[in-house]
Amino acid sequence: MNRQHPLRRFPSALMAWRNLGRNRVRTALATLGILIGVVSIASLGMATAAIQQQATANLEGLSNEVTISAGPDNPNDGISAEQVDDIERLTGDATVVPERSNVTTLSARNGAEIRVRVTALTKADTVYNVSRGRISNRFRSGALVSQADARLLGIEIGDPVTYDGQLYRVQGILSSSQGLGGQQRVLVLPLSAMSDQNHYDSVTVLAEPGQSVEALTAGIESSFNTANEDVVRVRNFASVQQNVGSFLSTLRLGLLGIGSISLVVASVAILNVMLMSTVERQGEIGVLRAVGITRGEVLRMILTEAVFLGIIGGVLGVVVSAGIGVILFEFLLGSPLNAFRWQSVQYLLYGMLFAVAASAISGLYPAWKAANERPVEALRD
Amino acid sequence: MSVIVLEDAIKRYHTGGEVIDALASVNFRADRGEMVTIIGPSGSGKSTLLNMIGLLDTPTTGRVRLNGRDVTNFSTDELTEERRSDIGFVFQDYHLLPMLTATENVELPTMWDTEVDRRDRAIDLLNRVGLSDRLTHKPPQLSGGQRQRVAIARALINEPDVLLADEPTGNLDQDTGATILDELTRLKESENIAIVAVTHDEQLVEYADRVVELVDGNINT
Ligand SMILES: Nc1ncnc2c1ncn2[C@@H]1O[C@H](COP(=O)(O)OP(=O)(O)OP(=O)(O)O)[C@@H](O)[C@H]1O
Ligand SMILES: [Mg+2]
Repeated sequence: MNRQHPLRRFPSALMAWRNLGRNRVRTALATLGILIGVVSIASLGMATAAIQQQATANLEGLSNEVTISAGPDNPNDGISAEQVDDIERLTGDATVVPERSNVTTLSARNGAEIRVRVTALTKADTVYNVSRGRISNRFRSGALVSQADARLLGIEIGDPVTYDGQLYRVQGILSSSQGLGGQQRVLVLPLSAMSDQNHYDSVTVLAEPGQSVEALTAGIESSFNTANEDVVRVRNFASVQQNVGSFLSTLRLGLLGIGSISLVVASVAILNVMLMSTVERQGEIGVLRAVGITRGEVLRMILTEAVFLGIIGGVLGVVVSAGIGVILFEFLLGSPLNAFRWQSVQYLLYGMLFAVAASAISGLYPAWKAANERPVEALRD
Repeated sequence: MSVIVLEDAIKRYHTGGEVIDALASVNFRADRGEMVTIIGPSGSGKSTLLNMIGLLDTPTTGRVRLNGRDVTNFSTDELTEERRSDIGFVFQDYHLLPMLTATENVELPTMWDTEVDRRDRAIDLLNRVGLSDRLTHKPPQLSGGQRQRVAIARALINEPDVLLADEPTGNLDQDTGATILDELTRLKESENIAIVAVTHDEQLVEYADRVVELVDGNINT
């Protein structure tokens, strides 16, 4: 008989819990409002985190690259072998990969044809990764095709591809996340495939970990070009990365703003629900005050009700958002568990905190109003 | 010494340019062990008087003394504290909380005093008003008379000095009203408390030690 209710030590919580249980439909609707608010904040936040992770993964391979191509004042309309030597001298330990490029049509046995970019180079293993097959050490023979082209044309490892009348055996399929945009459509051949060409179309410099991409860019720039003569064009992706980064930050702020609006709407709903239920219970609160419950105790009780709505809606919202996050990360990145990295899981925390804070703020006025109602007035029906 | 004393209490309302003296210079006192019944026509100021005695309202002018202390100028929170410790209330409409059990309703005034556990006293009080088999029932599952007995037990939980009742038998039939009044009479003696009851009920007058009649905010003697 003396079994105590677990909330007995927290009278405000006990009373708030019982009160919420009285009108379950109303409690459920208020909770649903908060849930939607939390889901919109948390899932939009997690979506930007997913996009960010994807962008970072894609840009990572490019961050140490400097690309050199012929400038408008280049007499050769390409980079000469001597210029490649100069670049090698200028860049020290960095790997220098000169390449020639062209465009060709690949055809499948079933007659399908696609246009692809062809690039011819020696140190293919320094620039490309394969998901299947391999890249031979000194890329003298064989070919590499992108995953997308291989799929389209039904090309398997060992199959032949033709370029300029020559047959090359496919020795590797490029992995899909290669460079900006993920799916570069390219056919990679040995340098000998374009031996008719004297100059190189571009030179890629792969900086070593200690080297600054910006410094390499500036060094090459100043040694080849003068103020009014652009012999070479030198580009790196550091600025691209920066731009993408700041774009994503803006995107995140915008999306979080939209998410917060729905939580503001939800807290207005809570304000309404709490006002309605305290007005309905005016007589009851008058009795509480008459039998000696203080204004502070009434205030705490009603505030606790509002906070409970926030906690229940918040927890449910976090559960739903975590599910949405897993789906998002599976869909965008193919790795669902990345959703639980701090970069994205932080938004679950923000959603929860926001829900509790918004509910508490919405509860303040109804609680204050109920607590300060004079018991004589409240008791007169 | 009287438990509660009103001295020259006036309650004045200003409504729409009109001035109404709901109470016009009333002197009132109640002692331990006595039941005072306040009677009078509707609108004569009975509830207003009871609200002054119960420290729910303060007089416009005049003094209020509780156990000899002048509480007239107490703050809202101090008055609440006095009500909690010294005054019990019983209402015509019972005013129990529907989501709490009978025992919890009785404990309600002490609910926020987490240091003291009044559960045993609550159960004891419910036994004494004959509800030992209804401890975990909620108000909607109780009859009117049973609800009023829960309300009486609630009024006594903090061992008050005075119990105030506004039409305690107003919603009950004759027989049930009589058992409630028997109950109050027994408790008045066993607990040695003052009971002040407002009523239209002739029956209640028979139980009174003293009757005060109000007419237009004045006490008729
Ligand atoms: N808040 C108020 N504002 C203005 N007038 C009031 C207020 N409260 C009470 N009155 C007036 O004071 C007078 C006494 O009211 P009170 O409620 O004490 O009467 P009562 O004797 O309890 O009547 P009943 O038997 O109908 O309950 C009435 O004329 C009422 O209109
Ligand atoms: Mg009245």
